[in-house]
Amino acid sequence: MEPTRQGRATLVDLLDRVLDKGLVINADIIISLAGIPLIAVELRAAVASVETMWEYGLMRDFIGTHPRA
Amino acid sequence: MMTDKGLYIYCLAQGNQEEPLELRGLGGQPVMALLHRGLIAVVEECEAKSIQSEDQKVLADGLLIHQSVVDIAWERYETVLPFSFGMVIRPMDGKTAGENLKGWMERESEELRGKLMRLKSKAEYGVQVIWDPTIVLPKIRHNDKEIQDLEKEIQSKPKGVAYLLERKLAEIIKKRLEEAANVYFKDFYQRIRNCVEEIHVEKVRRENPPKQMIMNLSCLQEKDEVVLLGRELEKIGKIQGFDVRFTGPWPPYSFA
Repeated sequence: MEPTRQGRATLVDLLDRVLDKGLVINADIIISLAGIPLIAVELRAAVASVETMWEYGLMRDFIGTHPRA
Repeated sequence: MMTDKGLYIYCLAQGNQEEPLELRGLGGQPVMALLHRGLIAVVEECEAKSIQSEDQKVLADGLLIHQSVVDIAWERYETVLPFSFGMVIRPMDGKTAGENLKGWMERESEELRGKLMRLKSKAEYGVQVIWDPTIVLPKIRHNDKEIQDLEKEIQSKPKGVAYLLERKLAEIIKKRLEEAANVYFKDFYQRIRNCVEEIHVEKVRRENPPKQMIMNLSCLQEKDEVVLLGRELEKIGKIQGFDVRFTGPWPPYSFA
């Protein structure tokens, strides 16, 4: 069995990581996202409505091929 | 850099060059590599305020861009410490956001280097095991004398008594399923644990009934060295009534 980065269930798996995990800075130099739990719920719904990973791939192409001069 | 600007932070890596990444970030600004004594912070200049939008689509796009930038930085630097979504460094006490970030990197330098070392060349993989209790239950019932006796008794009793016994039966079945899920969890956990370097148990997510997720793991392993894990998961996925999801490789969010 090979790991995959495709498909809707995979996108949810990724979201859980980007929203709930990752390094955080606990210091007053940080302005963090206010009301994370609520935003997380809404974002999961918003991203789940993204047409699978297609749009995600598109996003990657966009940021990777449109560098600022 | 203007002093009143904030810095959106994507990830940290090890490196010695402050070269541009040739990317645009979630605010449409160029993504920069900020160097401080062998550590690189991948950042983007932004307003010094919380990332906010009334429009969920904008936030959702931002989230995907966050991950894409981390992904691209991960390819370039081989090892990254990804940040959680939405962190903005602000200017304060007469210092720019960049100076504040460098100050933080300086203070945490030892710990950050230790983490980067530990995560060198490793990736995170998601593993979820989902079962269908309606498929697993007949097996449990077949081996359970208490359930079988109770089922026989229900058939021989008048309606009122049978109703109460049925409720008792439902309770026993629920308990047996929980016990079974627990046994499977321990077995699978051990088998998966043997194939990876580190493992975190995550909260299970809701599935479409009757299916239930009984296991949600984040696993840390050398990038692309997951043949053993893949084989073990394949075996688990072949058990009747069980499905396995195997995602990744992801930057090591759960281990940062």
